[in-house]
Amino acid sequence: MTTIASTGLVCPTPMTSSERIQLGHGSGGKLSAALVREHFLPHFGNEVLAQLGDAATLELPHGRIAVSTDTFVVSPLEFPGGNIGTLAVHGTVNDLAMMGAEPRYLTAGFVLEEGLSFDVLDRIIATMAQAARDADVLLVTGDTKVVERGRADGIYVNTTGIGMLDEVVRPGPHRARPGDAVLVSGQLGRHGMAVMAFREGLAFESAITSDTAALVPLVRLLKEVAGEELRVLRDPTRGGAASALNEIAQASKVGIALDERHLPVPTDVAAACEMLGLDPLYVANEGVLVAFVPAPLAERALAALRAHPLGAHAARIGEVVERHPGMVVLRTGIGGTRVVDMLPGDQLPRIC
Amino acid sequence: MCLGIPGRILDIRDDFGLSMGTVDFGGVRRDVCLAYVADAVQPGDYVVVHVGFAISRVDEEEAKRTYDVLKEMSQLEELEWMSEVADKAIETGERAL
Amino acid sequence: MRYLSEYRDPVVARGLVTSIQKTATRRWTMMEVCGGQTHTIVKQGLNELLSDQVEMIHGPGCPVCVTPLEQIDKALALASRPDIIFTSFGDMLRVPGSDCDLQAVRARGGQVRIVYSPLDALQLARANPDKEVVFFAVGFETTAPANAMAVHRAKQLGIRNFSVLVSHVTVPPAMRAILAAPDNRVQAFLAAGHVCTVMGWTEYEPIAAQYKVPIIVTGFEPVDILEGIALAVTQLEEGRHEVENQYVRAVTRQGTVPARSLVEQVFRLADRKWRGIGEIPMSGLVLRDEYAAWDAETKFGVGDMTTEESTECRAGDVLRGQLKPHQCPAFGGKCKPEHPLGAPMVSSEGACAAYYNYGRLRQSEVATR
Repeated sequence: MTTIASTGLVCPTPMTSSERIQLGHGSGGKLSAALVREHFLPHFGNEVLAQLGDAATLELPHGRIAVSTDTFVVSPLEFPGGNIGTLAVHGTVNDLAMMGAEPRYLTAGFVLEEGLSFDVLDRIIATMAQAARDADVLLVTGDTKVVERGRADGIYVNTTGIGMLDEVVRPGPHRARPGDAVLVSGQLGRHGMAVMAFREGLAFESAITSDTAALVPLVRLLKEVAGEELRVLRDPTRGGAASALNEIAQASKVGIALDERHLPVPTDVAAACEMLGLDPLYVANEGVLVAFVPAPLAERALAALRAHPLGAHAARIGEVVERHPGMVVLRTGIGGTRVVDMLPGDQLPRIC
Repeated sequence: MCLGIPGRILDIRDDFGLSMGTVDFGGVRRDVCLAYVADAVQPGDYVVVHVGFAISRVDEEEAKRTYDVLKEMSQLEELEWMSEVADKAIETGERAL
Repeated sequence: MRYLSEYRDPVVARGLVTSIQKTATRRWTMMEVCGGQTHTIVKQGLNELLSDQVEMIHGPGCPVCVTPLEQIDKALALASRPDIIFTSFGDMLRVPGSDCDLQAVRARGGQVRIVYSPLDALQLARANPDKEVVFFAVGFETTAPANAMAVHRAKQLGIRNFSVLVSHVTVPPAMRAILAAPDNRVQAFLAAGHVCTVMGWTEYEPIAAQYKVPIIVTGFEPVDILEGIALAVTQLEEGRHEVENQYVRAVTRQGTVPARSLVEQVFRLADRKWRGIGEIPMSGLVLRDEYAAWDAETKFGVGDMTTEESTECRAGDVLRGQLKPHQCPAFGGKCKPEHPLGAPMVSSEGACAAYYNYGRLRQSEVATR
């Protein structure tokens, strides 16, 4: 005879627990509240965030603040060395640091795709929160929306950051002067190629990991060495070192002369670029900065960078010159010259 | 039409009658179709790869032979150039006296 | 990287530059017919290093430059269809058709994907049996074996939702067309190393003999190109005109025979229009009748499209060495890398794009003196 155990029977509706994001999680009701309470707060929790007010109220020390915002749409969401969450923290923290500012607070807005697994979301939130702690920034307010399956590529994240500007050290893209040394804090091309390795149609196997990292410690070291002579700081993300340097050359109305022999590109990144016909100078970096300092300070600046794990591969890659203002020119390995122009759009793999 | 780079064959397998292999390019690895060179290669050989196909085997002996000749020639050029520079320096030095 | 980095050795390169400077008693004009070689020459600034000894004319060696306008328009038409996933090498994405380019079609909702290998496109077809996958089979003889294998495999495995839009061209007829032109200035050729890796060099022997031009089968790294130029200059100075192989590590006289066989099995020669140049007889490859079911033109009925070239773009004259890019009226004004009128302004090593960058460099150097 069939028996039915009377214990363990549960009404199947309404579903309050699930493995994936549903549209209801974005509608502001119980599911939304549960999402914040059970998934975001445990990792990001602090007194400001815990108040869950419509806006965060902050006490800021006297002085001028820097604000930066960035939106992150990377695919795949997780890649060797990081994920969209850590990228979102580092990206905005670094934008503030490139102004010479000390990052303090972050906001985070999430657009989640219906069907996103909580496994993935929890991993991203947890590592994102750790990245924020490591960078000494507090996540003070956030927002979540959910869109239908097929939109948002899993997750889109926006982070906005607030930092305190330095009274003395004010780097800016217009401050480069002929004679300045152009330094780079680490190897080029890692992030872009780490992500490219998973791109459908172009995938390859390698040990390349993204370099995504908060650059604040390196900026502090450079401030100590150069003070207000820390003329330019820039993190070469989209468009790579070439695009960043072109922008600086144009803003400062100077020429930049690079030496190909001194560009620190890891062998496997170089190999992947060879295979796809890409130039490492145009590949995105997420844990590297370029710094312009007067030439006499270059050696000390390099030594300071190299003493830190993030700056172990720091190198002097060129100098600022009077000739060809607004242009970046590269001396090639065999002694020729080539103009390194801005690309009109994305760098595309080629067969020719 | 030409982006072909040399890589080292790590392994060879049969994919439903198509010879495929894992090729290593300086630390980056990809599956490559070896159908056109299958009779001539074994793991450890270098091949030139274009759009995922090995189009020939690298002739390592020929490469070494011709490169050695080239290297010797350029070192001789380097020595000649250096001595020319030295000669010029002595010349201008003497005139300065 | 092994068999790559050594060919970028600055000492060896300098030795070759010196050797060329010593051997040349006058300035010689030569042409490379390969986008990859043009890329190295421009990227490494080799033109500048040898400007007194050699004038390099960048020939029609890149699919980006020579794919006829109607093939691009057919590609755009196919890519715009909602039932088609259109796959292509990255090079083709920004090449302007009559109206727009593949990137614009993607922005309008077309499914356009970049792939590294035609086998990736075939794999996409297998993974999406309810969609049609079309692959833009562009290229010279180097790429024909890969494209042939993709079509052949599709037939072998019975994959019916895969087809190719073919736009293959072959090098020797183009060389002949250039040499036969009454205003030809080319005195020697660097032959494309990877085309010859597949095909060998037997086809070039009658050309060298008939037109009395040295033809050097050359690789792609700076040392390769410099050695190729050195061999050409030596032959020119000695009054010889032979086919010589610089790229010995990859090229043999017969080429890669299994590759040539499958190409011949899958494709046949046909007349082909070269963008900017016009029709060159028997210079293109089309699918043989046995593979008609995998021909995207017949499958989707775009075979009859014809277009007229815009007269404003002077790409053809540039590619044959008759016009320097900056002599074109549209250069730098209507035609710039951000909004190119024709293919040589699209890729960063296209002749016009290269001149655009160098022109700006020269202008600014003059201005700051």
